[in-house]
Amino acid sequence: MKDALSAAQDAIDKVLLGKSQSIKLALACILAKGHLLIEDLPGMGKTTLSQALARVLGMSYQRIQFTSDLLPGDILGTSVFDRNSAQFVFHPGPIFAELILADEINRATPKSQSALLEAMEEGQVTVDGATRQLPDPFFVIATQNPVSQSGTFALPESQLDRFLMRLSLGYPSEAAEKNLLMGAERRTRLDAVEPLLGHEQLRALQAQVPQVTASEALIDYILRLVNHTRNSDSCAWGLSPRASLGLLAAARAWAMLEQRHYVIPEDVQAVLPAVVSHRLRATNDPTGHGGDSLARWLLNEVSPV
Amino acid sequence: MSAALIPRNALAWLLSAQVVVLLPHLTRLPWWVAVLWLGCAAWRVQIQRMRWGYPGRILRTAGLLLTGVAVFFSQGTLIGLDATVMLLLLLFMLKLLEMRNPRDALVVIYLGFFILATAFLFDQGIPLTLYQCVGAVVLVAALIGLQQSPARNDPWRALRSAAAMLLQALPLMLLMFLFFPRLAPLWTINLPSTESRTGLSDTMGPADIANLAQSPELAFRASFEGDIPPPSRLYWRALTLSRFDGRVWSQDRLLERRQPLAVERSGATLDYQVIAQPTGRNWLYSLPGSVSDSPELRALRDDTLRAKRPLSSTFGYTATAFERVQRQRDGLTEDERQRLLQLPEDSDPRSRAWAEELRQRHASDAELVNALLRHFNQQPFHYTLRPPTLGRHSNDEFLFDTRRGFCEHYAGAMTFVLRAAGIPARVVTGYQGGELNPRGGYLLVHQFDAHAWIEAWLPGQGWQSFDPTFQVAPSRIERGLEEAMREEGSFLADAPLAGSRYRDIGWVNNLRLTWDDINYQWQLRVLNFQSEEQLALFKRWLGTADWRRIGVLVLSLVGLVMVVQALIWLRPRRLSGSPAQLAWQQLDQRLCKLGLGVRAGEGPRDWQQRLRQALPQQRAAIDGFFDRFVEQSYAQRQPGEAQAQLKPALQTLLRSLPRRRPPAPSQALD
Repeated sequence: MKDALSAAQDAIDKVLLGKSQSIKLALACILAKGHLLIEDLPGMGKTTLSQALARVLGMSYQRIQFTSDLLPGDILGTSVFDRNSAQFVFHPGPIFAELILADEINRATPKSQSALLEAMEEGQVTVDGATRQLPDPFFVIATQNPVSQSGTFALPESQLDRFLMRLSLGYPSEAAEKNLLMGAERRTRLDAVEPLLGHEQLRALQAQVPQVTASEALIDYILRLVNHTRNSDSCAWGLSPRASLGLLAAARAWAMLEQRHYVIPEDVQAVLPAVVSHRLRATNDPTGHGGDSLARWLLNEVSPV
Repeated sequence: MSAALIPRNALAWLLSAQVVVLLPHLTRLPWWVAVLWLGCAAWRVQIQRMRWGYPGRILRTAGLLLTGVAVFFSQGTLIGLDATVMLLLLLFMLKLLEMRNPRDALVVIYLGFFILATAFLFDQGIPLTLYQCVGAVVLVAALIGLQQSPARNDPWRALRSAAAMLLQALPLMLLMFLFFPRLAPLWTINLPSTESRTGLSDTMGPADIANLAQSPELAFRASFEGDIPPPSRLYWRALTLSRFDGRVWSQDRLLERRQPLAVERSGATLDYQVIAQPTGRNWLYSLPGSVSDSPELRALRDDTLRAKRPLSSTFGYTATAFERVQRQRDGLTEDERQRLLQLPEDSDPRSRAWAEELRQRHASDAELVNALLRHFNQQPFHYTLRPPTLGRHSNDEFLFDTRRGFCEHYAGAMTFVLRAAGIPARVVTGYQGGELNPRGGYLLVHQFDAHAWIEAWLPGQGWQSFDPTFQVAPSRIERGLEEAMREEGSFLADAPLAGSRYRDIGWVNNLRLTWDDINYQWQLRVLNFQSEEQLALFKRWLGTADWRRIGVLVLSLVGLVMVVQALIWLRPRRLSGSPAQLAWQQLDQRLCKLGLGVRAGEGPRDWQQRLRQALPQQRAAIDGFFDRFVEQSYAQRQPGEAQAQLKPALQTLLRSLPRRRPPAPSQALD
């Protein structure tokens, strides 16, 4: 089964070239049952990554393009009166897919944003008084564009905290881009991807993540990291307990991807920038884009042993 | 920078600091100052809450002008210490309203430190000093709060850090206090007016000293080298009064010129030190015939000492008295004799007639003086703090009708009669006696010890002191005013809270004397620690008073401290933690010598990888240790039995390490 994981990793690697670290983080995010926020410029492969993930994992895929006139009903679904049965019939919205790409999430109004974020948090939606379970597995990849912020509604810190990880794909390396240009078209590469992991297998893997051993020494390391952000004057505020739980879960998933049954400090270090950078803000940085350097600083400040 | 706001914490501490810093001044300032502060603080809080805006330019200019006007009307001037300090305080408050960013807040805090210092211009006692320490802590807390992030909400942390920092600065403060050169001020300022202070006045009318004797305030403290002399020798001379206008005795400036007085001194010497309370006047207290070499004072021709400046704060000096002194035995100048016999034309006819009579009966001056003293002793004179009021011919009424009076009545009347009989005489005012503080072994002289006696010039003997009060109430001289007034019950009758009233209650008295001793030591050792004392201290400690040698000594002391500190820092770190952490630190210390110590934030596997590349020969030992380390630390929830194998693995690795770092393998450059 773990071979299936690395096979899945390789399969996505072939579609999104030269981004194995990001792909691995995205997989770890799914395994840890978290949701993913990708912050990058247009055309960097956000959609490709999410589509490839959906295919490899055999998940149903829906894309919601967030715009300023998007309404919560467009996400969750609406009840429509059926004349034949003389009843209201619920037409489920795109949220009921297993993998959702919420594209440009910061373009929608806070009301629509929160409809999605609530669904992410609860794993269920309530429309017209009826509570409906979302599918399992359920995974949201939201994207936002770091430039051209006019007319957008930036996600508040409390909502950013709901995403387990924030990734930035970045430009590919020169070799990878050369391969990209010389190789087949993306679309055909995507179509070539076969489902490698079934739902049952994915659920089993997700269930195994909490079983990965995290020793006391490792927990102490995580606590040192978290406490350092709380006590240091460089951070405007410290990491929340949700962040420390997320850090541990992501590190476990990472250890699993590394084919190990226990977590070592390097696992924590690998996932830490993705897990904490959107949750931290430097004291002297009112814009809130300094999280990445703060994460690097944090890793250097705290001794792993 | 303009976008930066003042953190809430910092504002809270800043406002608290303002309260603490302003409080000692508020007692001297009109009530509306407190109201103004409340207004400014409330406005600033509203700004912080984004309810109100900052005042505009016109409003601020108006506020500034109004402040100047208010100070002018309240103090009558815009210059001088009181007015400038008040102006500073008001601007300190108003600055709140244009405090937009942290830089402005810094200005306010630094101003606060300055205002902290200005309070010492008015009072230098122990309570204020301790209180100002609190002020310093709060100001530093405000400084710290200013550096904290706006989201941090732990005000006590700032206070704790501030207190810790100031405690750490304490040794430095002591060092500076002891060693910093006491430079003479470049300019002097007129220190606060002290007109309202109680104390001797330079004139003496009927009942003046009796009024002063109602005050329990301290006049000065005196300590002696050796035993304290008996009360009958403790006549502290302050002023001589030689002019009489029929009612009031006052100074004759011409008799107090700075002209040396011929004094023959002999017998045992008595060194004493006086710490005078501030009076706003410049006269000092000395025993008859004293000499002093303190540079801040001078001796006058009437055998009194004067400070060069009015006493605006406590003033200490030393002097020496002699067992036998004879002053101006050679004779008076004609001008002096005239002035010392001066009497108003038409006052007290009965006293004059009586003086004529005495003159005829006694040929020698000494006999006449003695006869007069006997008269006071034998006739029914009465010593009282509540003398009846006297009319136009006060000496007549006192000598022949009421015969009830306080020391100034006796001294005034006796001087009058002596002058009328042709004997040069003058009234001396000052203090007599004092209360022994057994703890500190010094004398406390209070205002109620104020006294007046006389001096007469006798041919062949020079100036001689006589105390008519002693003839009437010897207990006043020997045991003090309280004893003398025991029957009358008038001792400090108007001051029910004065500590001196409760001398009979043992513990109250003990407490009072102990507190006074502490104050005395404070004044003697701290406030009076000027360049002379500093040099004396250096001589005693370092055996030298040469500034260069002292500088070298201080610098080498500082250097020594820095070397010790450096040694502490460079000392190998003490290892602590779990066995795995100990092994990790041990390995780190050893590998640091090879330049391969663990890097900041490096995990075990990353370090292992780096070591494997740097030390290819030791790969087996490296893997042996790190595999066990990782297994033991991370593979189980709790440390397991692999712990036992960690130590041998570490030893193997440590033994295998080379003494020097091998040259980097060419392929391992990453």
